[in-house]
Amino acid sequence: MSDLDRQIEQLKRCEPLKESEVKALCMKAMEILVEESNVQRVDAPVTICGDIHGQFYDMKELFKVGGDCPKTNYLFLGDFVDRGFYSVETFLLLLALKVRYPDRITLIRGNHESRQITQVYGFYDECLRKYGSVNVWRYCTDIFDYLSLSALIENKIFSVHGGLSPTISTLDQIRTIDRKQEVPHEGAMCDLLWSDPEDIVDGWGLSPRGAGFLFGGSVVTSFNHTNNIDYICRAHQLVMEGYKWMFNNQIVTVWSAPNYCYRCGNVAAILELDENLTKQFRVFEAAPQESRGAPAKKPPPDYFL
Amino acid sequence: MEWESDDKELKAAGAEPLPGGRRGLRIHGWEIECRKLFILNSLHLQRWEKELQTTHLPEMVFGDNCLVLKHVNSGTKFFFNAFDALVSWKHEALPPVEVPAAAKWKFRSKPLQQVVLDYDYTFTTPYCGSETVESNVECGSAIPEEGSSCIQWEDCKEKIDLVALASKEPILFYDEIILYEDELADNGISLLTVKVRVMPSGWFLLLRFWLRVDGVLMRLRDTRLHCLFGEHNKSSILRESCWRETTFQALSSKGYPSDAAAYSDPSIIADRLPIVMQKTQKLHVGVSCKQYVKDIPLMLLHIVIQALLLTGFPL
Repeated sequence: MSDLDRQIEQLKRCEPLKESEVKALCMKAMEILVEESNVQRVDAPVTICGDIHGQFYDMKELFKVGGDCPKTNYLFLGDFVDRGFYSVETFLLLLALKVRYPDRITLIRGNHESRQITQVYGFYDECLRKYGSVNVWRYCTDIFDYLSLSALIENKIFSVHGGLSPTISTLDQIRTIDRKQEVPHEGAMCDLLWSDPEDIVDGWGLSPRGAGFLFGGSVVTSFNHTNNIDYICRAHQLVMEGYKWMFNNQIVTVWSAPNYCYRCGNVAAILELDENLTKQFRVFEAAPQESRGAPAKKPPPDYFL
Repeated sequence: MEWESDDKELKAAGAEPLPGGRRGLRIHGWEIECRKLFILNSLHLQRWEKELQTTHLPEMVFGDNCLVLKHVNSGTKFFFNAFDALVSWKHEALPPVEVPAAAKWKFRSKPLQQVVLDYDYTFTTPYCGSETVESNVECGSAIPEEGSSCIQWEDCKEKIDLVALASKEPILFYDEIILYEDELADNGISLLTVKVRVMPSGWFLLLRFWLRVDGVLMRLRDTRLHCLFGEHNKSSILRESCWRETTFQALSSKGYPSDAAAYSDPSIIADRLPIVMQKTQKLHVGVSCKQYVKDIPLMLLHIVIQALLLTGFPL
């Protein structure tokens, strides 16, 4: 058994790798990812997955439902880390699979694959806690810069973490972005990872936060028409039912973190496409408590004031 | 894992768990119950949007969660739920808060048709709980309808005795309930929760609205209710509201850290946020309502006599 196969087995048991192993794994991953396009071509059949957010045991449920990699070809739409308890193990397992089976798994970047966001929402603290230093966080966030920004399945389905950008009307415009950087605060790359479809606007909307685009049905219609695609598949927003179509089936949100933050009670979904691009959503629930490893302990009384 | 009550301690305090798998207990004439379920599904969200006349709700609305504290004899009931809190949010309607990136966005070239949304996406609410007096045997049908309660809070100078509350009296029941939460699209957090604990001497709860807009501001709006059990199932309740608010800029000028990661737990950093509003009110439960009902015929008679006298009717 090769070192890599052994590491994959170890990660599947939710045991993190040594710091030196993470470093070596990231070096290899970088060589593969640097070759990928900003609009990475993906062949069908493929199974599309949305946000995971460090919910390792729920991702194992996902693999139970969708099948193991490399038998199943996977496309993950980003947000592997933050919020959940096992961002380290989750991201490293996906990365190890990418290095082992580069043509059977595609990882694209979510807005949480960023230095700034991971310092606030959990991944940074988790690395510090599990390794006693921030080196692993550095290796991983350096790799984030190499992740592709989107994928195109059989030239017919455009996949991205967030959504569209008013500065982008063609896929070629995405191909020209220099992606090897921290996610910027504005511009096309930021929009692809951050924007949301919105029912109440038809064209473009600006979030009340003063930053962040919202796009309506007519924007999606025109993008799909210009680029000759059937629909857009994106993630980024929690959906209680696991997936949600909008604008007359021109865009679908797929969410793959069941019982989000271990309390929402939502189901998760993955989208399976066969060789003819026939769709099947597979809906699944969170892993049962007893399979999560951590002992369920009665919490002490809370004398809050 | 959920916190669980200790049967021996319950018995010693004269408390009993609620029957039928309900989560809560009965003690000193109070029935305290928590309901914890999941976030609303798309269909229910749509219904709420319609009822609240809004196009936006928090990402996670725990619409079926609630905490209810009911004084059985008087029918006095305090309850905490997301719907009422969102009604108050809608009513307060604060202007939106711009995130730091907004400064850069002002220089972006704008798409031709652009709508700027302007609702309060922070879901800031002045909600301090809901209350009513329910009709029951004791109170009779003299109480007209829910909502038009005879609950009369009085402003007072007393303070909730935090020293006494810090003493390690046994906790007979504890729960924390989320009412709603929003991640502000990864720009911070907006969270409304209520925590309750019941001791042999009384119950205490904290309703907390916590907002952090990363790099911009923090708001903490706390409402604490402390009920001391008295004799003959009478109780007195103090309610303290304390609102705190500050900007990251103000914190950094005082030498405090200004990165969002340093402000994840509001109970640790609350003291750094200056108080912008504070008030305490008092309420007696278990006497006034019955007394009030008894007094109604007398009051009516008085009004009739006064009216007759005014019209010059010779009595």
